[in-house]
Amino acid sequence: MSKLLIVIPAHNEEANIVQVVEELTRDYPQYDYVVVNDGSRDKTAAICRAHGYRLIDLPVNLGLAGAFQTGLRFAAENDYDCAMQMDADGQHKPEYIEAMLKELEAGSDIVIGSRFLTVKKPKTLRMLGSYIISWSIRLTTGRAICDPTSGMRMFNRAMVEEFAQNLNYGPEPDTISYLIKNGATVKEVQVEMGERMAGQSYLTFWRSVQYMVKMSISILLIQWFRKRDTETPYPERSL
Amino acid sequence: MFDQTLIRICLILGSFITAGYILRRVRQAKVQIEDTIFWLLFSAALLILAIFPGIAYWAANLLGFMSPINFVYVVIIFLLLAKQFFMSIKLSQLDSKVRILTEQVALNEEKVERDKLDL
Repeated sequence: MSKLLIVIPAHNEEANIVQVVEELTRDYPQYDYVVVNDGSRDKTAAICRAHGYRLIDLPVNLGLAGAFQTGLRFAAENDYDCAMQMDADGQHKPEYIEAMLKELEAGSDIVIGSRFLTVKKPKTLRMLGSYIISWSIRLTTGRAICDPTSGMRMFNRAMVEEFAQNLNYGPEPDTISYLIKNGATVKEVQVEMGERMAGQSYLTFWRSVQYMVKMSISILLIQWFRKRDTETPYPERSL
Repeated sequence: MFDQTLIRICLILGSFITAGYILRRVRQAKVQIEDTIFWLLFSAALLILAIFPGIAYWAANLLGFMSPINFVYVVIIFLLLAKQFFMSIKLSQLDSKVRILTEQVALNEEKVERDKLDL
């Protein structure tokens, strides 16, 4: 079986982190995990230390992309075969990891835990953004990604290295569309997700609108101009 | 009439040069995508004002400007001021992050050296 690292980016998740990590270590001890504390203002880091969880503590807030990249660099440096992102708010359920891992081992580069592969996507305002992004990816790559905004994504070794070293590789739908365009194999696996257990969601209405504008422009326009360069690692490039 | 055509050509050129330059930086992976959005929208705004001068005439008339080109100036000045404002905030945040990081590195260094002395 491949050696999997579960990256759990956590920003102000003191209310949820214990339950999420405890479930993982109790029921799924075969997987390794690492909590990346993204400069939380609450006691997330202290709680992780008190419980003896494996923790990477970022001294400043980097945002999700930075926190996740830290986890992937850890995976790359410690010879993991694959890595996945799991939210610290309890929305992602570890019982689906096995199915996703199987799909990855069958030869995919990226496996997305999708809410809407066999289930119909509800036509609500909240899902409007998801529809727009799905449609943009369809238009620019010809591939159907049913749940592009799902944060539950698994990456193989080559992807881990590429994500760990490069600029503009945030764990977001625009990167997925870019990689599909460049020949990566992306598969989806049907999963169910829970509601966030406690605390505030980062996505307010205004932030969602900003996110949508950014994603649409990025997928429909900017990704066409990118050049994939897996030869030169990022630290050697001058910005 | 000639005068206005020249201005419109300049706006279109400015728009394409801005977009072209920023997209080249994306291609070379030398800029983060979130930082390009503003410049792409900015060049789109210039392009729209150049292609549809009616907008400038209508807005200048509405706001009581002497000449439509003044409306174009106001739009550009406003967008650049807004950008300047948000960059100022971003810069301040970056500054404090660098300070915290420097402190962190120095404290870690001190811890490593203290452990060495203890041995």
